[in-house]
Amino acid sequence: MRVQSGGEPFLFKGGRVGCLLVHGFPGAPQEMRWLGEYLQQQGYSVLGIRLFGHATDPSELLRVQARDWLSGIEDGYNYLQGICSQIFIIGFSLGGVLSAIFTQKRQLSGLVLMAVPYKLPSLAHYLRPTLPVLKYVWRYRRPKEPSDWFDKEAERINLHYPVQPVHAIGQIHDLMQALPEALKAICIPTLVIEAQEDRSAAAHHGTYVFESVSSDDKAHIKIKGSGHSLARDSQRELVFRHINDFVQRVSKAS
Amino acid sequence: MSFIMPGAEPYYLPGNRIGCLLVHGFTATPQELSELGSHLNHQGYSVLGVRLFGHGTRWQDLARSKWTDWLSSVEDGYHLLKQSCDQIIPIGLSTGAVLNLILASQIRFPAIVAMATPSALPSIKALQILYPFLPFLSLFFPALKKGKPDWRDPEALLARVQYDHYPLKAVYEFGRCVDALQGALPLVRSPLLLLHSSEDTFVLPKHSERIASSVASSDVRLQLVNNSNHVISSDAQRQEVFQLTSAFIADVLGTAQA
Repeated sequence: MRVQSGGEPFLFKGGRVGCLLVHGFPGAPQEMRWLGEYLQQQGYSVLGIRLFGHATDPSELLRVQARDWLSGIEDGYNYLQGICSQIFIIGFSLGGVLSAIFTQKRQLSGLVLMAVPYKLPSLAHYLRPTLPVLKYVWRYRRPKEPSDWFDKEAERINLHYPVQPVHAIGQIHDLMQALPEALKAICIPTLVIEAQEDRSAAAHHGTYVFESVSSDDKAHIKIKGSGHSLARDSQRELVFRHINDFVQRVSKAS
Repeated sequence: MSFIMPGAEPYYLPGNRIGCLLVHGFTATPQELSELGSHLNHQGYSVLGVRLFGHGTRWQDLARSKWTDWLSSVEDGYHLLKQSCDQIIPIGLSTGAVLNLILASQIRFPAIVAMATPSALPSIKALQILYPFLPFLSLFFPALKKGKPDWRDPEALLARVQYDHYPLKAVYEFGRCVDALQGALPLVRSPLLLLHSSEDTFVLPKHSERIASSVASSDVRLQLVNNSNHVISSDAQRQEVFQLTSAFIADVLGTAQA
């Protein structure tokens, strides 16, 4: 099997309100799975997609284009349309960037952005012009950021590539050039959740993201005692409840 | 704005706990199996029609893809269906059937339906000769425009959503995919229905005959249909194909349940 065990996408058939879950880079649908199971228990239909190149082999990310990820979200949206009349999109980290951009393409009921970076570190920006050549010399970056996990057991079983393909970071960089505009265009109910002890590229970006969104109905929640991986780390139950409250309130209102 | 061509979207039709996994062919889209999907859904089955990676967007995406990406797309569909279905029946056309059979060498399914399945490169002289040079040729000719269609049902052809080009690199990947099929076939043990058009000039019916004699399944049925081109799920005889497919599933599952 190509897809790593534990990295499979999932579809839980429930009610007419659907949640489309989009994981981060270079992670796996597993990052969203506990959240998906929780939302299923609340009666929602849930689909956790696998972004192209993830949970298989990192070399696939050497030839990825951002459009592959966005068309993957389109696939998930189309599947959910088979059972749902309202669809919420919930994205984590890169998945949140993609979700924010995707909201411009389709009719969605609401958006949840978890630990979403507003822009990449400036090094990525400076290196971007050299990337067409650089990517052949420097294929994989080994992240050196210290761990920000509180739940060490969840960290141990967390499925992700140990390396970040440099070419894919370039794709993310280009994608994120469009993020401020995309956020400004968002008018649907939006919930922004950030982890206060996040040490990734998304650290302290929640406020930028929140303030950029044009929605009248928007909320910003800061979670204490959690690292970047909000839907897996120590405060996940609290995160799940916030998301459920949001989806419940918005889906009933419309 | 959308990356997926209108009409090329994958679909999920909820039904009972028997799931039909529909996998389309090379350069085609989920659309070529959508009518079959509706037919099966009417019979009560759950249906999921996947979109293979690189398909249904623009042919340049297909030119970038490897056949293993297509296999991952099939696996994704399998995992999505598995949550709400106890039994999964892969149903594929052409390359889609090849991918299903490769998956079936690792997973035992209650039944498989393989339509217009190639067991090797199509017997086109130029393709046989040029095949090893395709990656090199693709540097100068990234894609080849498709030839004249040979459809019996002109309306079905009109409704068809597909690329009108064959990316040469992807044709090379297709060849690697049918290579991988050779090792997979002796490991396939699931009951298998092979459907093929007797008038298929692109992939000759003998390809299905070869598959029938290579698999390890004890229940293998080969059924030819007439008055159709390669794409038997969409062309003039499609109703017969639908009937044969659902009758086979009912028969095999009925026997299995008894």
